[in-house]
Amino acid sequence: MLSLTIFLPLLGALLCCVLPASKARWVNLATNLAVLLLTLGIAVQVSGTSGYQLVERELWIPAFYDIHYHVGVDGLALALLLLTAFVSTVGALASWNIEKSVRGYHAMYLLLLTGMLGVFVALDLFLFYLFWEIMLLPMYFLIGIWGGPRRQYAAIKFFLYTLFGSVLLLAGVIVVVLKHQTWDIPRLTELAAGQGLLQGGLGLAVFLGMFIGFAIKIPAFPFHTWLPDAHVEAPTPISMILAGVLLKMGGYGLMRIAYPFFPEAAVECGGLVSALSVVAIVYGAFVAMAQTDFKKMIAYSSVSHMGFVTLGLASGTPEGLNGAMFMMLAHGTISAMLFMIVGVIYDRAHHRDIDRFGGLSGPMPRYAILASFAFFASLGLPGLSGFIAEITTFIGAFAGPYMELALVSLLGVVITAAYYLITLQKVYLGDTPPAYQDKARFPDVTPRELAVLLPLALVTLWMGLFPATALDVYREVLNGLAHTLTTAHAAVAAR
Amino acid sequence: MDLALLPAILLTVGLLAVIVADLLGRGRSPGAPLALAVTALLLAGWAAASAMPTDGRLVLGALKADRFGQVFTVFCCAVGAVSLLATTRGEALRRPGGEFLSLVLVSVLGMSVLSMAVDMVTLYLAFEMVSIPAYVLVGMRRADRLATEASMKYVLFGAVSSALMLFGFTWLVGLAGGTSLEALRAALANGAGAQPVFFVAATMVLAGFAFKISAVPFHFWAPDVYAGAPAAVGGFLAVASKAAGFAGLVRVMGALDLSAAPLTEGEQLTHVWPQGSAFLALLAVVAVLTMTVGNLAALRQREIKRLLAWSSIAHAGYLLLALSVWSTGAIAAMVFYLVAYLFMNLAAFLLAGLLIRELGTGEIAAFRGLGRRAPGLGIAFAIVLFSLTGLPPLFGFVAKLQVFYAIFDQGYVWLGVIGLINGAISLYYYARILSWMYLTDESAADARAPRLSAADRLLTLGLVLPVVVFGLWWGWILEWARSVAPGTLLGMGG
Repeated sequence: MLSLTIFLPLLGALLCCVLPASKARWVNLATNLAVLLLTLGIAVQVSGTSGYQLVERELWIPAFYDIHYHVGVDGLALALLLLTAFVSTVGALASWNIEKSVRGYHAMYLLLLTGMLGVFVALDLFLFYLFWEIMLLPMYFLIGIWGGPRRQYAAIKFFLYTLFGSVLLLAGVIVVVLKHQTWDIPRLTELAAGQGLLQGGLGLAVFLGMFIGFAIKIPAFPFHTWLPDAHVEAPTPISMILAGVLLKMGGYGLMRIAYPFFPEAAVECGGLVSALSVVAIVYGAFVAMAQTDFKKMIAYSSVSHMGFVTLGLASGTPEGLNGAMFMMLAHGTISAMLFMIVGVIYDRAHHRDIDRFGGLSGPMPRYAILASFAFFASLGLPGLSGFIAEITTFIGAFAGPYMELALVSLLGVVITAAYYLITLQKVYLGDTPPAYQDKARFPDVTPRELAVLLPLALVTLWMGLFPATALDVYREVLNGLAHTLTTAHAAVAAR
Repeated sequence: MDLALLPAILLTVGLLAVIVADLLGRGRSPGAPLALAVTALLLAGWAAASAMPTDGRLVLGALKADRFGQVFTVFCCAVGAVSLLATTRGEALRRPGGEFLSLVLVSVLGMSVLSMAVDMVTLYLAFEMVSIPAYVLVGMRRADRLATEASMKYVLFGAVSSALMLFGFTWLVGLAGGTSLEALRAALANGAGAQPVFFVAATMVLAGFAFKISAVPFHFWAPDVYAGAPAAVGGFLAVASKAAGFAGLVRVMGALDLSAAPLTEGEQLTHVWPQGSAFLALLAVVAVLTMTVGNLAALRQREIKRLLAWSSIAHAGYLLLALSVWSTGAIAAMVFYLVAYLFMNLAAFLLAGLLIRELGTGEIAAFRGLGRRAPGLGIAFAIVLFSLTGLPPLFGFVAKLQVFYAIFDQGYVWLGVIGLINGAISLYYYARILSWMYLTDESAADARAPRLSAADRLLTLGLVLPVVVFGLWWGWILEWARSVAPGTLLGMGG
């Protein structure tokens, strides 16, 4: 069932290449819906169980330490699988008005989906790395061909940055496999349960290498500089996918590989990671406030919010880890919604300059309501998912060893509220300049746009009101990791 | 009669047949010499593949009929055959005459001998037998000033490095008291290696090989030669000539290494002669310089053949890096890498030839919008370039994985990391080609689509498909590559 889910998009991609261009977007949407249904089916089957489920394991390359085709899901993977299928489906709807090389676009989009799903279910390091890298290729083309004016620069910057990260990850993987002669992630996690997979300086070096590899994807400060370019130049649906799913792979990699494999090194680096997280939260928020480009502001808000993920992780507490994961899910839907909000107005006004907009609530009232909803969700209004994410992370961080640093990050929350409220006022409230009063040029959200925004809004609301639905899915996995980290913390303290 | 010499005999017979057919059939059947040459190469390759390795000595002990030599013979014959076919599809010399074909055959014969040689004089002669036809092949188009210049550069560099090598060999022969590598090994075992001159002599020999595999600082000829020659000839030199150079280098290093054979998997050959570790360190430095210089210079290239030339220098660096850690695993990784390199680099040069033929220029900027006008060709090129970068799930990635695994395996983590980062740098220039092909909007002037014949497509498919398939299904290639490496080669007594 997992294999079907992963490779169905690949089949769809081939179909896109073969069928006439007018059918491509339908193929894309249909494939995405099928994948969404399949992941829901997986969720029903898997929920309430512990350990890896639906495991498929076939020997693939026996000559090189028994590389297996090995996939399976646990709560952590399942939550991200659902997020991926969901964001990708609304992204497919948001792709409706792509007009350039339609078949190529939708084929690439589906190829990307295969890569993303594969990363979350792979239980073999080789397979994991394969999917991790496969994703880069369609992304490069999706930004580079269908992006904005500086797309070539943004595409290669994204590609190079992430490849440098991947190379560090690969170096770490090779060292691990050399030592333990297996590619099996569950097996390696078991082996690591005591002191980690490698001791001493080498363990620390490999952990740092892997951390940087994943941090580039998150992206954590100071490895975030590719993100604003990629986000701004990418077409709207690809920005949604980038923010909604791709950034989550970094966090997933840390939770699935870097932290469980090297708990002691992770604990030793906790201060550094916390400090970097706080810088990301505060600095990201300040930079977001300084932006006049709507999309760039959202991009930097992602840097700021992803800081919470690493902050929660670094705390090593169950609340911190669960909060980090909740932030990934919440940010996944909220940021996708925010990018769609920018896309909607860009389609009409053909610019994204915050200072040139004004009073858009006049001609587009429903759009203004949805935008305000997304803004408030992102700045952490109670009742919406962003709030739960932030509060849980803070509780965890305060309980952890780096409470002082966590206190500083509260500043970020205030600044975030400031820039969202300022933007809300500048863009949606006040008098409508004459240029934006024309109802024909600035129609309210179309049914298609509504079909993209509304599901995202509903999930955001649901997760804010009933956070347990999401938490229960992965809590057990992360509590286990927190336990490992606590043990490691005690061991490091004893030394 | 010993079947181990059959490939060499078949190549020689083919060579003569090509010359005769060319003289007799001039003007009437232009395809006959080509068909003969390709047949000779395929037959020789098949003969080498099917002969049982006896580890026996041939021709007064000058050659050794072992698995290693056979594998490289098959390799070079295959590259020769593909390169000849690619020449007919390329941008120049599309109807190769008898001279061209016989030169390629002589060169392949030299490669085969080089990979089997266990005697220093034979090694040197084989080395020249590979080089001299190559000089002529490059300068064949007399009307082309670039080609003439390239050939001249090639000759000068070749002459200097070959003189250095010969000088080194004379010292080694003097120290060994005989020309065979076994005599050298025996002398080393008796402590001859402690003399400083030995290190100097070994380094001089290395210089000769460095020229052949285009390693820094003997690489300056490569860009001019590859750009001046037809793309298919560039591919032939970049793959076959380089592989033969590596085979010879492994032979010599095997003689310098005194550890007992056979070795078990992953064991390091530690008992190299007294200055052995310094020699290996020198090799590592050369390797790192080669890949870095190759990659950095490739960043600035605007012409496809020059870019591929610099990229092939970088690839020589990865291969040399594997040799510098000197283990059976590293040699297996080198063989594995060479197989991947065969497919992806020949494909790259073939595609370059096709594009120059159709567009009339090799400027990368002229590829603008090509991805949309010729989707099949675009996808093939993208696969090849991603494979050269070392991105999964392609053959090039697995090959890099093997090489770096072998390097990490011997504990040289930093060398491995430098190599991996170099691989990431290479993405920039490979992707620039794709950027012109896909990311740049086409203007009305670019409307012409390249016209590819069925033969063009078939040959491209034959080279590109393995890059994909073997990227996913490579366990058996690894096992095969490992079977090439062990003690039969290194323990020369075996």
